[in-house]
Amino acid sequence: MIKVVYSTQHWIVPRIVMVILAILLVAIIVTEGMARVKSGGAFLAKPGRFFKKDCDHVKLWGTLVLFAGYLWCLNVIGFTITSIVFVFLFNVLYAGTSKKSLILSILLSVVGSLVISVLFGIVFNITLPSGICTMAFPQFGFTLY
Amino acid sequence: MIGHLAIAVLGVVAGIVFGAIPGMTATMAVAVFLPMTYAYDMDTALFLLLGLYVGGISGGLVPAILINIPGTPSSITTTFDGYPMSKRGEGERALKVGILASFIGGIISLICLWLFTPLLSAAALKFSAVEKFLIILFALTVIAALSKGQMLRGIFAGFGGVLLALCGMFSVNNAYRMVPAALKAKMQDGFQLLPVLIGLFAIAQIFEEAEEGMRFKIEKVDNAENSGVTKFSLKDFKGQGVNLVRSSLIGTFMGVLPGVGGSAASILAYAQAKNFSKHPELLGTGSPEGLVASESSNNGLTGGALIPLLSLGIPGDSTTAVLISAFMLQGIQVGPLFITQNPHTWNTILVALLACNIIMFIVMFYPIKWISKIIYIPRQRLYPIIIMICVVGAYATKNGRMFDAWTLLGFGVVGYIFGKIKIPASCFLIGFILGKDLENYFIQAISASSGSLMVFFSRPIGLFIWLLIIASVAYAIWDDRKTKKKAAVN
Repeated sequence: MIKVVYSTQHWIVPRIVMVILAILLVAIIVTEGMARVKSGGAFLAKPGRFFKKDCDHVKLWGTLVLFAGYLWCLNVIGFTITSIVFVFLFNVLYAGTSKKSLILSILLSVVGSLVISVLFGIVFNITLPSGICTMAFPQFGFTLY
Repeated sequence: MIGHLAIAVLGVVAGIVFGAIPGMTATMAVAVFLPMTYAYDMDTALFLLLGLYVGGISGGLVPAILINIPGTPSSITTTFDGYPMSKRGEGERALKVGILASFIGGIISLICLWLFTPLLSAAALKFSAVEKFLIILFALTVIAALSKGQMLRGIFAGFGGVLLALCGMFSVNNAYRMVPAALKAKMQDGFQLLPVLIGLFAIAQIFEEAEEGMRFKIEKVDNAENSGVTKFSLKDFKGQGVNLVRSSLIGTFMGVLPGVGGSAASILAYAQAKNFSKHPELLGTGSPEGLVASESSNNGLTGGALIPLLSLGIPGDSTTAVLISAFMLQGIQVGPLFITQNPHTWNTILVALLACNIIMFIVMFYPIKWISKIIYIPRQRLYPIIIMICVVGAYATKNGRMFDAWTLLGFGVVGYIFGKIKIPASCFLIGFILGKDLENYFIQAISASSGSLMVFFSRPIGLFIWLLIIASVAYAIWDDRKTKKKAAVN
């Protein structure tokens, strides 16, 4: 029997789900612990290595930092310019800094960002993040975000 | 119509590119292109999305055959026979066998979709809140049944997804739960599906590859055919009729079950092909029979996964989960009333799926020599552009909110951590999609019965669904033990 009270009914299902999750968590710990004991180990496993053995920390953390920086700058600078800069930086991070690679990175970031900006912002008329570098051309009826 | 076909060609080709590049999947293809559909009407959007879906699933066979790396998880069994054929110099023959098998698998599953969706919808029309609740519970237990050796983690992920879906405002009494005061304005309807989905599946994968250093060594292989090798001919399909139909139906059936990836479908179809084969010893050494089983089953998935999506509103896999977003954007509710209320859209889906399968066949079968070059496209050059498009897609979900873009990044990190602690993201996603409905039907059912939980055992259809739930849990426990024993023996 579950009493449905109007003012508190929004907590009925979340509470049930939380209880189920807690039971499942205990079940996971117990069954996996028992399996380890059966195979001659300890009940609680030592926490394993989180990152891979040959983890590329520069690329992994670089991706996170660049991603966050990209999102933060979008609403300050505007979509097109921010995208050109950050797509270039992602390219440098992933593909290196040799002269040939840099030229390709510049080309991809400028062309890629402009194509996406024009395609989505102008052709499809989808709102993109705007900032100080967003340029409106009312006489032509479009905005370059 | 020509415009629709042109969009379908674009979708299929882009899908093939995503499917053929190892590590990039059909789900990613659909998610990346979804923002384009914001500007389209429903019909055009369907041609694009179904094209991406069919192309994405089919493209996976190219690297599986040529370089022994499955382009998508569903083409894992294609490597067993495709690569040995390729090593013998029969790469082109293997590709063509695979493409034709994919095409037939797609068509058979389309026929199943056409026949069974209206039947299932008609049955579901009789469902009250009780049965709707139980069907969702059944979907969550099926997830568990198929989380090979990870049953508890699968259910845990499913309910974790349900809990996440409940964040925000409850529509009946307009009260908030599990939302910090500062985010109340932004999280009225909780987290949006699209940023959560792209984060979990596309961004998380970019983090994983960044951890591995984005080192992709795909050595160019020379698959040039020698004069002495067997070329493709329709004789390759002689005696394969039963195998083709059986594998396609296995794929379709596995597609119907929620949360099941194509890999489960193709492994099952391959195992059955081996069981029934006259020459089981040849499978795994480069036999077209194995290729036919693998490829027809994973394309069988495409129609199958749409059956529960359109008749019950439950997505069969992560790619069709993205399609739910597309339907929502167009203001269409999928579920038992979908076909009767939207007969035009239903017909469009069937026509689009047929067209996309035919286009896939034409686009892949003849120019396969050139198509196969796709596998050498460097992913590290594509990922920055994909990040940009994912951000656009997330940002535009609710007419331009940075909150959704941050949600995308947040769930990218969550998906990456899930991979580390072995929590299946696809189970989490299915739970997230079904969470709100689960709550609404539960509250409706117990409100109508003055709080009595016996209401869930009071109707015959409900009791039948309980039997299904018990059967799937029993199967899950049995299969979990079997998988663990097998792992212990190995």
